[in-house]
Amino acid sequence: MSISDKDFEQLRDFIYNICGMYFHSTKKYFLESRLTRRMDATGTNSYQDYYQLLKSLRGGEELKFLMDEITTNETYFFRNVPQLNALETKLLPEIVESKTKMGFRKLRIWSAGSSSGEEAYTLSMILLEKRAGLLKDWIIEIIGTDINETVISQAKEGIYNAYSVRNIPDLYKRKYIREDGGKFILSPDVKKFVTFNKLNLYDDSKMIFMKSFDFIFCANVLIYFDTASKSKVVQHFYNNLQPYGYFFVGQSESLHGVNDKFKTVHFPGGFTYKK
Amino acid sequence: MDKVAMIAKAEQLVAKIDDLPTIPVVATQVLQLLDQPDVRIEQVADLMLSDQVMAARVLKMVNSPVYKPGQEITSLKRALVYLGLKHIREVALTTSFIDAFDENAGAFEISTFWEHSFGVGMVSKIIAGKIGYHDQEQAYIAGIIHDLGEVFLSNFLRDEFQAVLDSIKDKPVKLVDAEAEQLGTSHCEIGLCMARKWNFPEVYCEVIAYHHTPSEATIDPVLCAIVNLSDLFCSVRELNYGGREWVSFNLFEEQAWQILKKESPSLAELDVERFCYELDDAIPDVKELVRSIFNSKE
Repeated sequence: MSISDKDFEQLRDFIYNICGMYFHSTKKYFLESRLTRRMDATGTNSYQDYYQLLKSLRGGEELKFLMDEITTNETYFFRNVPQLNALETKLLPEIVESKTKMGFRKLRIWSAGSSSGEEAYTLSMILLEKRAGLLKDWIIEIIGTDINETVISQAKEGIYNAYSVRNIPDLYKRKYIREDGGKFILSPDVKKFVTFNKLNLYDDSKMIFMKSFDFIFCANVLIYFDTASKSKVVQHFYNNLQPYGYFFVGQSESLHGVNDKFKTVHFPGGFTYKK
Repeated sequence: MDKVAMIAKAEQLVAKIDDLPTIPVVATQVLQLLDQPDVRIEQVADLMLSDQVMAARVLKMVNSPVYKPGQEITSLKRALVYLGLKHIREVALTTSFIDAFDENAGAFEISTFWEHSFGVGMVSKIIAGKIGYHDQEQAYIAGIIHDLGEVFLSNFLRDEFQAVLDSIKDKPVKLVDAEAEQLGTSHCEIGLCMARKWNFPEVYCEVIAYHHTPSEATIDPVLCAIVNLSDLFCSVRELNYGGREWVSFNLFEEQAWQILKKESPSLAELDVERFCYELDDAIPDVKELVRSIFNSKE
């Protein structure tokens, strides 16, 4: 069933207001097909009926199913290229400069909701390439956390399929990935900067110990939280950052109305939040 | 760098070019006609119709998603009535400006220049609406013409300009600063000299000269700030001259943001994230507009 512009805009605004994720018009057909699956599963016959269901008392639960469908839970290396470019071109050199002035030579990065580790290892590869220059003699710590222990074991193992590695630039692939019978095995060099731990972002008693990060990444996680929890978790991220640190969310995500302390810093193809 | 010295340098560069594009005869006549008291729209329409390219472009512009008339306007006279006498001058200027620079002979693709320019025009109009600026069409036109000087650099100082572009590739350096450092002047001053040569109204000359430094403007700093902010937003989304410059900005530190917030405090509530995403959605419209304006010549 094709979705009208009006229904699309209504659902887009609803999802944006509740989850903080914006659906670009180019994603209309994608949204249409995913909505169809949820409508079949819930026995709703029109987009309007489905919209009413989302708005109803049991809508919160349904919204989680819908978000699962539309985020497809996929993750792969070098996923958010504009973000990585901004890190390399501007944000990392800037932080290295300020820390050098203060006599610090340690960089701490947190991949929150790290899933099977692709984001954390992508960052590790990029920083490894800077070991000869910008980050010479620096201590690098990348911490991945997730609530799910299965994905944490996968992340620790560091073995991926062709889909996960498809976006890795050749330079990095040659140096840091070894193929073995259709499996892609990560080099120990990349793994040595990264540790993975189980962490529930709702757990205040644990969150207060995640300290002094220069960069925090948290993509496609906050969209599952209600506004109050989102505010609380984002406040933790804010507190856990160094005074000059940056917080990144996923493509098409927005923190508008969630936290008014962060400042938006724009770069080609995206933006980040600065403490 | 000293603005006076930069303007002097720009004047010198512009004077050196013998074949500087001129605006079409009809446009000059339209402007003269508009200066006369008691001019009637019919007279202007008749004159404009003698230049079919100009007439077609005026119609394309009026019907673009940016102006959004309720129904498609198909007659030039109705288009002019819709615009009002005040804006005919601006549309005439803009369409002739397009005419003067529609060749692909410069350091960058001319279509990317127009996409950026019309994008900045569209965003300027939206921001003007949000802050309650008195003349949204003026903001639109100001956005379209703000980078006039860039085309000069790209077409007439091609090698030097290419060297400037190469020197900042993938670096977080502002093009306008690199121009000033390497050429002794920038697209702001060069654009100003050209706009004066073409008798653009003073308010537009100021936007061209101060769209990177709106707080230095004296005639209409708010308009300069609107264009500045639109330029920044377009430069970080996909209306960025094909990515020739790596732009980054912290909105809260921008002078334009401060000027506009002072003008309209409710701007502080703007959902900046959503604004960017909606801008992404509008990009195909801008590209389509540029394509249609250029094809109207054929």
